[in-house]
Amino acid sequence: MTDPAGISLRAVSKIYRGRGKPIEALKDMNLECAPGSFTALIGPSGCGKSTVMRIALGLESHDEGDVQIAGQSSKSATAKGVTGVAFQDAALLPWRSVQSNIAVPLEVLGRNPREYRDQIAHLIELVGLKGYEKSLPGQLSGGMRQRVSIARSLITSPAVLFMDEPFGALDQIRRRQMNVELQRIWLESKCTALLVTHGIDEAVFLGDCVVVMHANPGRVVEVFEVPFARPRSQDLFSDPAFHALTDKIAKVLHGE
Amino acid sequence: MTSHFSKTLPVIGILLLVWEIVGRMDWIAGGALPGISEILIQLWKDRGDYPQHIWATVYASGLGFLIGNTLAVLAGMAFVLSPVLMRLARGVNIAIFALPPIALAPILVLTLSGMAPRVTLAALGVYFITMSATVIGLSQHDSRTADLVRAYGGGNWAIMRLVRLRGAIPDILSGLRIAAPNAVLGAILAEFGGGGRWGLGSYLLGSLGRGDPARLWGIGLIATVIAGLSYAIFAVVSGRVLGSTRSVSLNTALPPDDGGAGRSPAMHLLILTGTVVLPFIMWWAFIKLTGVPDMIAKTPIGVFDYLFLADASAIARGKLLEALGQTLPITAVGMIAGLVFAFLLAISSRMFPGFIRGFMPIALVTQTMPLVALTPLLVLILGRGYSLTLWITISVTFFPAFVLLVQGIQRVPQSVLDLPRAYGASAWKEMRMVSIPAALPYLFAATRLTVPRALLGVMIAEWLATGTGLGNLLNRSRGYLDYGMIWSVAAVSVMVSVALYYGVLAVERRTLTRLGMQTVE
Repeated sequence: MTDPAGISLRAVSKIYRGRGKPIEALKDMNLECAPGSFTALIGPSGCGKSTVMRIALGLESHDEGDVQIAGQSSKSATAKGVTGVAFQDAALLPWRSVQSNIAVPLEVLGRNPREYRDQIAHLIELVGLKGYEKSLPGQLSGGMRQRVSIARSLITSPAVLFMDEPFGALDQIRRRQMNVELQRIWLESKCTALLVTHGIDEAVFLGDCVVVMHANPGRVVEVFEVPFARPRSQDLFSDPAFHALTDKIAKVLHGE
Repeated sequence: MTSHFSKTLPVIGILLLVWEIVGRMDWIAGGALPGISEILIQLWKDRGDYPQHIWATVYASGLGFLIGNTLAVLAGMAFVLSPVLMRLARGVNIAIFALPPIALAPILVLTLSGMAPRVTLAALGVYFITMSATVIGLSQHDSRTADLVRAYGGGNWAIMRLVRLRGAIPDILSGLRIAAPNAVLGAILAEFGGGGRWGLGSYLLGSLGRGDPARLWGIGLIATVIAGLSYAIFAVVSGRVLGSTRSVSLNTALPPDDGGAGRSPAMHLLILTGTVVLPFIMWWAFIKLTGVPDMIAKTPIGVFDYLFLADASAIARGKLLEALGQTLPITAVGMIAGLVFAFLLAISSRMFPGFIRGFMPIALVTQTMPLVALTPLLVLILGRGYSLTLWITISVTFFPAFVLLVQGIQRVPQSVLDLPRAYGASAWKEMRMVSIPAALPYLFAATRLTVPRALLGVMIAEWLATGTGLGNLLNRSRGYLDYGMIWSVAAVSVMVSVALYYGVLAVERRTLTRLGMQTVE
């Protein structure tokens, strides 16, 4: 049994059987995220990195192997509110206000949102949306909507946080600002985080380690430790050591 | 919207003026079309009669609307949660969509009492529209938000509650809006079928023999206003709730199902059998539940017996076939004429945009009119011959087809239209390359949509006026208390309508697949 709040995937494989040839989305996939660590999962599109997250969340089944989230099956972990999740697009319900969108996981878990009123207010402040509690998603910018989804992913005080390219839709400048903010929020929440991304900069800036995947079949090819001290600032993006590491990862990523 | 209005107002004004002059001069059919002022004066004279008639119709259609839509929304939810159930109910759904209400009216009057036939027919009129709107609304949810709910351990019901239901409200509301006039139509048609002194349908029927055109037109006007108001109420409600505009055309495509993926052939066959048999089981159960004696209420077996086994079955079959031979050709001719007319007008809409802008709102208004219930008015103008049947069929086909086609053509992106023009194509060439192919899927959808309406229109005309075909056979059998024939005509007309629907669908699928196009939902 793994440590209570970690993520552990052992020898997981997943095959899509549709029309035509079966596709090996994941083959003998291993991933260990220590409790309290920040892991960035990076790879070309179609390498199965999102599938890893979806399997870990129990949104998809796997054919072989063992998946444990905080020492239990993904089904039991999600149903207890141990996990939090943020998707590529904010996935907000357009008819609900910011605060009411943040409460959606609570309602799914059968908890009373009113008991979380202070926490919702705190999270809205944490993501810098104070004053927008009652706004509807349609009245917010893309970056603001994404911050609502980050706040929503934290409402259950998750021990394990999953993020699938949460800033994929933002421009470079907004994205770096959000990276800094996410680091701050994560340091405060002390959870285990798994970030799926296709940005090397983002992966290195945020991760304690960067896991590189390749496609056909989807598998882990190398794991890089990231040595930079926290909290990391925007200056890191122009640090030569940062670039040396991103170059190294890029080479592995592009299969050189 | 204001520009629409400014284009439409003069058109309406001119029409009203022409109407008044023509009516006052008694130019049409010796005064069958009275002037507007004459109609309004007669309305004022009859003001004492109206409240009770209006109340009876509004009450029946309101209650039917409520019951039908409640069932429709619940059914829609059940179908989305269980695709197998949706497949099983497909036969029932198609039958309800395709049934000509007039064919059911006598049956309902025989088996139910009081207001129940009217309420039932009104409910049947709204069920399919709201049910399919609900299914479509519930199916088109954001898959990411559903993933979110599932990621927190939520099941299908949690997704239904948190994501799908609220997201489906715009579709359900537009379904209710289109369904509302249908409830009024259903109630009026049940009144044609007999029973009850009060109600606008009874009033219309009762006044038909008295040769007072102004009164008939007044009743038609009131019925139209009620249907239009019911539509307008929901238009305002959905406008308030959503602040969005939606297409007013009917959705005729059955909601997609799972296509039976992953099911064994035996299971497939079982479900298919269930789909076909279920409508007949419901028919049988309806009779058993109402407890009407076998002599009056015929089960499926009873109808089979009447048509194929009983001593007089050959005579009955002969009468039925003769009636079909009269009804079907005229329905086909009228439909084709209406569709061709609508198609030509719609594809040329790019050439006369001003005319279309003015005409479109009028075409939209006709969608809310109980067109087929206004048959008595057309009887006055056109007499009781074939031209009457033909005109009714053309008008009930033309308007919905035209609306659907124009909306379809308007969906063609401007860039696609600009491309041929950028290479110097003529208007005709552009039409041939873009507008006509773009309109084709909508032409098929319109055909599917109007098959039941056309059949209904023809049957009403036959019932009230021409004395031929299925409608007349139904009406006469009512008089002779020939119960077997009443049930047979009802069953056959529903089956013919379903068969026509599937016939159009088959041609549509084949043609569009060959052209690499998608069927219009």
